[in-house]
Amino acid sequence: MRFVVAVVAAAVVWSAGPEAASRPPKFVYQRMQLPNGLTVILNQDRSTPIVNVQLWYHVGSKDEKPGRTGFAHFFEHLMFKGSRNVEPEQHTSIVASVGGQANAYTNEDTTVFWQTVPAHFLPLVLWMEADRMATLRIEQETFVREREVVKEERRMRIENQPYGRLNEIIYEQAFTVHPYRHPVIGSMEDLNAATLADVRDFYHTYYVPSNVTVVLSGDFDVAEATNLVNQYFGRVPKAAKAVPRDIPREPHQAKEKRAVVEEAVPLPAVVVAHHITYDGHPDAYPLHIAAKVLSDGQSSRINQKLVYETGLALTAFGQANLIEHPNLFYAVAIVNPGQSPATVEKALIAEFDRMKAEGVTPRELQRSKNQFARDYILGRETVQQKATHLAHAEVLHSDITTADGEFDIFQNITQADVQRVSKTYFTPESRVVIHIMPKGAASRGAEVVQ
Amino acid sequence: MRTHATAVVFVLAVLFAASFASAQPGPAWPREFPPRPLQPHPVTFPPFEIKKLANGLTVVLVSQNEQPAVSVRLIVRAGAAQDPKGKLGLAMLTATLLDQGAGSRTAQQIADDIDYIGGILSTGAGTDLSFINAIIMKDDYQAGLALMSEVVRRPTFLQAEIERQRQQALSALKVSAEDPESVAGLVIDRLIFGFHPYGLPGSGTTESLQSLTRADFVEFHKRYFVPNNALVAIVGDISAADAMTGIEKYFGDWPAGNLPKFEPIAPPEPTKRVIVIDRPDAVQTEIRVGHLGVARKHDDFETLDQAVKILGGEGANRLQQVLRSQRQLTYGASADLDGYKDSGAIVAETDTQTANTAEALRVIAEEFSRLQRERVNEAELEAAQDYAVGHFPLTIETPDQIATQVLNQLFYELSVEELPKYRDRVLGVSPDDIQRVARFFLRPDRLSVVLVGNADQFVATLKGVGFGEFERIAIDRVDVLSADLKKQ
Repeated sequence: MRFVVAVVAAAVVWSAGPEAASRPPKFVYQRMQLPNGLTVILNQDRSTPIVNVQLWYHVGSKDEKPGRTGFAHFFEHLMFKGSRNVEPEQHTSIVASVGGQANAYTNEDTTVFWQTVPAHFLPLVLWMEADRMATLRIEQETFVREREVVKEERRMRIENQPYGRLNEIIYEQAFTVHPYRHPVIGSMEDLNAATLADVRDFYHTYYVPSNVTVVLSGDFDVAEATNLVNQYFGRVPKAAKAVPRDIPREPHQAKEKRAVVEEAVPLPAVVVAHHITYDGHPDAYPLHIAAKVLSDGQSSRINQKLVYETGLALTAFGQANLIEHPNLFYAVAIVNPGQSPATVEKALIAEFDRMKAEGVTPRELQRSKNQFARDYILGRETVQQKATHLAHAEVLHSDITTADGEFDIFQNITQADVQRVSKTYFTPESRVVIHIMPKGAASRGAEVVQ
Repeated sequence: MRTHATAVVFVLAVLFAASFASAQPGPAWPREFPPRPLQPHPVTFPPFEIKKLANGLTVVLVSQNEQPAVSVRLIVRAGAAQDPKGKLGLAMLTATLLDQGAGSRTAQQIADDIDYIGGILSTGAGTDLSFINAIIMKDDYQAGLALMSEVVRRPTFLQAEIERQRQQALSALKVSAEDPESVAGLVIDRLIFGFHPYGLPGSGTTESLQSLTRADFVEFHKRYFVPNNALVAIVGDISAADAMTGIEKYFGDWPAGNLPKFEPIAPPEPTKRVIVIDRPDAVQTEIRVGHLGVARKHDDFETLDQAVKILGGEGANRLQQVLRSQRQLTYGASADLDGYKDSGAIVAETDTQTANTAEALRVIAEEFSRLQRERVNEAELEAAQDYAVGHFPLTIETPDQIATQVLNQLFYELSVEELPKYRDRVLGVSPDDIQRVARFFLRPDRLSVVLVGNADQFVATLKGVGFGEFERIAIDRVDVLSADLKKQ
């Protein structure tokens, strides 16, 4: 079986012409589901004697209810607070004691726990992950203590950094009811108000096998790994109820939104954002290309125009935030001393308008396809990266084949596709414009900040 | 003779025994010991080759064909430490300007050329070195090298590009002058290294950046960017023979130069000094505590590095245990031994809520002292070593990681023969060795301290933790080039 698999992998190496993108080898994997609903993906890669194990819990900040924001991320912390057979704070130490690395992160859509360890410690990490999935200790004392750590994290990441609140500002201006409106780290007031019962309820609702995808990537024997997964995760009980997905939809934005906010920033920043679609929608792929041409790399239009040619901005960048539900494409420019935010705003909008009017040139299109191929290839070097791509396809696209299939979708996009989606999404009605001014500047009415 | 598998099982068993007392009732889930590891898989350092061109360029080759990409990393042995007096920022801006016009290509053409072939080109300068890195898809290896050799060998330093990059650098200085992490880093370096080049800002100052002329860039480049002062690594999906053919073609006729003699000056002896940088709107205090360490190639570097890892590194990290896990004073704390060519520094860092500033500082100083005072316990050292040894295969996963390890050895004039012996070197360090270096190199009575935060809210508490003497400076009055660190 493994022999056949190796032959398939070797056969897909392309011979590419000068204009065509180099193609990475396809993933080789097995996918299975346990009776308790847990999805398991095994990606064998024997190039280095290590293994990466990731658990994707399909719960993020968008699953949080008003008044209970920050729960998903807070829960990520609580998962390190001990379970039946593992003492509090020992998960990371145990992984470190064998030379491994373990960590976790939470975003709008998912909460991910990962570890990379020397290959022979695979049983240990599977055992520990199953232990905390089934028997997490949820106690008043650890809950109160960990809340303080999260508050410190918020101070470090957000409040104590110049432009640290940039994302929060963009999202609270752009969204009205969808939970994407609030930051992943949530509100400290909400965390203060949380009770132990709330926390237990969250655990029993979302931390259940049917809401989890486990991915193994690395040096293991497939039959042995399958047995280990069955042994440790197979005994986690099936959830009593289905995972709720009653997330409010963001109403259509019918006219441009504008805001000026004051923050402790050294230089003003201008944001121009547009509401766009979700990750996996057919329009998402041409939007990625539009975003690359507008804002990826030194040769991107926004960088060339605002930073290089005119010196209007210290830096300018953009991002198509294509995630599980419709989100934003936004461009940000930090206004250089002596330049006005109004001029910078005009210059940013002009680049969106140009994209609608002219689309992209054949060279820009090929360039962004090559850049995409580059990111694709360089994003699949480590076992952690490989596991992440497989999990992303499985959890957010509900279709693991997209982990490979997106490569061809991108290479087949045309100029007409890019112009069509630009016209669809970069409308004045869908626009959100924000000026972030240094404290005192906006109230003085000063447009030019020296 | 111990084996690592048994050491780990022993540690886990201890943790497990402790868990019976507090286990709560719940579903039928077994109480059990952790599973035993499988048979360990062999770990070998991947093969690499080292060659030298006739002009003195050292070439490292690592072939790995998992992904169809090739990475080229070129290092020049000159960085911010070579900035002439009054010309701080020269190495940094020289590196920045390399890809802003070279040979017959303009800055925009270079940007477009590299993006069009789906490559990445980056340039920069560190303390002791400058670098030019490129990642290219395998089919574009020749095109990528052609571009790279122009950028390395023939930068044009056009006046318009100089002005553009100067303005960017000045704006960046303005932003970082308000960033507490960045200010804390600048000031602790200055306290530890004094007016040695390692103590001065490689990103320059407003005055020094304004003073740089085209002649400065041309001279710096001419002096240091020569093949007998450079190393290049080619790694990825390419055979050694093809890699060398390309390097010979694009770098074989790069003429060697006469290198100036480096005349290192010694950094000053450590002295206790506490600088409070006042940032009234801060909600947290950035804390840096440290003193002089040793150079990377010092015989005791790796032993001292293990000692510092017990203080604040992965696998042990007393600071994290006390400051985060026991006391919830911070989100993270760490300590590092930074080894440079001529010298080094031991620096502990954390950030904490303003009200906890003095207490966090007390804990850090106490941990420096404890590491020197008390012999480190075997189990703690073993845990740190288990981490280092077990972690090793994670550091040789990608071709770039392998090349970086080889380049580091060559750059710091260490033996590449040592690379595969990593495990033995780590496990050869005993608690006695740790105590010897801790006693010799740690100076808990002479710590340099930097606190960046809302001074009014914490300075009164510093005396109670033994740091009552301090100098206070407003964040917009900091000048690391003056003796008292204040703008005149």
